[in-house]
Amino acid sequence: MTDAATVRDVAALARLTISDQDIENATAEFNQTLALFDALSTADTTDVAPMINPLDSAQRLRTDRIETLVDRAGLMQNAPASEEDYFLVPRVLD
Amino acid sequence: MAVPFETISSLAKQLDAGYVSARELVEDAIARTERLNPELNAVIALDKPGAIAAAEKADKARATGATSPLLGVPMLHKDIFCTHGVQTSCASRMLADFVPPYDATVVKKLNDAGMVSLGKCNMDEFAMGSSNETSFFGAVKNPWDLNRVPGGSSGGSAAAVAAGLTPMATGTDTGGSIRQPAAFCGITGLKPTYGRVSRYGMIAFASSMDQAGPMARTAEDCALVLNAMAGHDPLDSTSADMSVPDYSAGLEQSIEGLRVGIPKEFFSSHLNDGVAATVSAAIKELEAAGAVIVDVSLPSTDLGVSTYYVIAPAEASANLSRYDGVRYGYRCDSPSDLQDLYLRSRTEGFGEEVKRRILIGTFTLSAASYDQYFMKAQQVRRLIAEEYQSVLKDVDVIAGPSAPSTAFVLNDGSKSITDMYMEDVFTIGANLAGLPAISVPVGLVDGLPVGMQLIGSRFGEAQLLNIAHQFQIRTDWHSLTPDLEGLTG
Repeated sequence: MTDAATVRDVAALARLTISDQDIENATAEFNQTLALFDALSTADTTDVAPMINPLDSAQRLRTDRIETLVDRAGLMQNAPASEEDYFLVPRVLD
Repeated sequence: MAVPFETISSLAKQLDAGYVSARELVEDAIARTERLNPELNAVIALDKPGAIAAAEKADKARATGATSPLLGVPMLHKDIFCTHGVQTSCASRMLADFVPPYDATVVKKLNDAGMVSLGKCNMDEFAMGSSNETSFFGAVKNPWDLNRVPGGSSGGSAAAVAAGLTPMATGTDTGGSIRQPAAFCGITGLKPTYGRVSRYGMIAFASSMDQAGPMARTAEDCALVLNAMAGHDPLDSTSADMSVPDYSAGLEQSIEGLRVGIPKEFFSSHLNDGVAATVSAAIKELEAAGAVIVDVSLPSTDLGVSTYYVIAPAEASANLSRYDGVRYGYRCDSPSDLQDLYLRSRTEGFGEEVKRRILIGTFTLSAASYDQYFMKAQQVRRLIAEEYQSVLKDVDVIAGPSAPSTAFVLNDGSKSITDMYMEDVFTIGANLAGLPAISVPVGLVDGLPVGMQLIGSRFGEAQLLNIAHQFQIRTDWHSLTPDLEGLTG
């Protein structure tokens, strides 16, 4: 069982906030899902290699050559706040 | 469309013969969508100017001698595919205003083949759901019964095809998101082998399982579309560098002697009796066509649900970390500092199911839980994949139900979160193992469609399409359509 404090810690890692009103329900749902995972412990996985990719293929590397795929102006149009070619965020340094 | 339930193959003949123009098809499709969609909510962005321009271009090309089975045929895209200049929201508040400056490879390939995009389909938010109820834009209704879900996550795509808004819509399938809604809406949906279709420009959910595929009325149409969609893409490092066969070429082959494995675990207590009887009758139809039915076992079927719901949310938690309110997507009002910007943008921008999965994924990837959950699930994934591979050495394909039940009612409060996750029990295995699988309509139970799933060997799409086509030659379940004439919008 995982307690509310742990769920809050996980939320903080994920950059999410859970309100006081929602924490009890969120914790219950969290534990309900973890209970579903208990079945995994019944599988004997001794000496079984993890399967990261279903084709077991290694990452392919392309030639190290710079390619411009998308126009910068098009990308910047989706920025919530920008100035010239820069994304604006709240001041980090005083 | 003047003929709303026509197949691509039929429309191509009519276009070639000059009985109809691409522009007329598009205008009819838009008119039908505007009439029916206010009730169905299957389409969340109509691109009328873009569609008419593309249709006129297709008509001009045909007038100068160009011909292709897809030229001038309308389509819709699941709103998970980036479309240049057209909203791509993934049905999330987070991306509600996102307009991509480029096309996904799937979109580009289908445009290049001459298909005409009408717009974008509703879906579960970030493809996380089996009912299309998690969309920021509201639930989609099943055209067969407006009180029921269309399935998910490609629920808008399935409902749009079933309602005759388009002959084909693209979908994506991470744990059954093409096959289950195809089954619930009485259409044909193919999830190709992982790597067969490029993921470039397809918004990522769980990158080791996400795969795009066609959703249409028939296997014959799915073959036509897969011919255009499939192939290696240097922009997707996981796309398979293999040649693409002509998927239409082998459709007429006999299935005499084909070995079809029936896993006993697919006919377990999870399965609704009516669905079991309907799928069993469809298997008998395959037998009547010459297939040899073989009892097989996939003992880890139930474990697949636990495995999938560790791996998919873990991959999602990493993929969705990019949505931070800085470069694109939703940003909260008046953030006090950078942390506040991150926290409130993500908390306000994501819906409840997405946040639930990010939380679980973050937890299972944390140092204290990694071995117990994430590593263990990756090991069980290999056991499951090996079970499928072992069975597929003895049989050509595996057959069973696409979903445990027919479409369930909207807002069914009796289903817990984990009950909803169990909806995917029969479809998840193909994603974990990276195998191709198709769902075909095989009957009705209480007026609602039932789908049969066929799972094949890696890159065995041609065989699945062949079997599905042979089934559809012998049956007419794929020709049934819902009665929507009472809907006026």
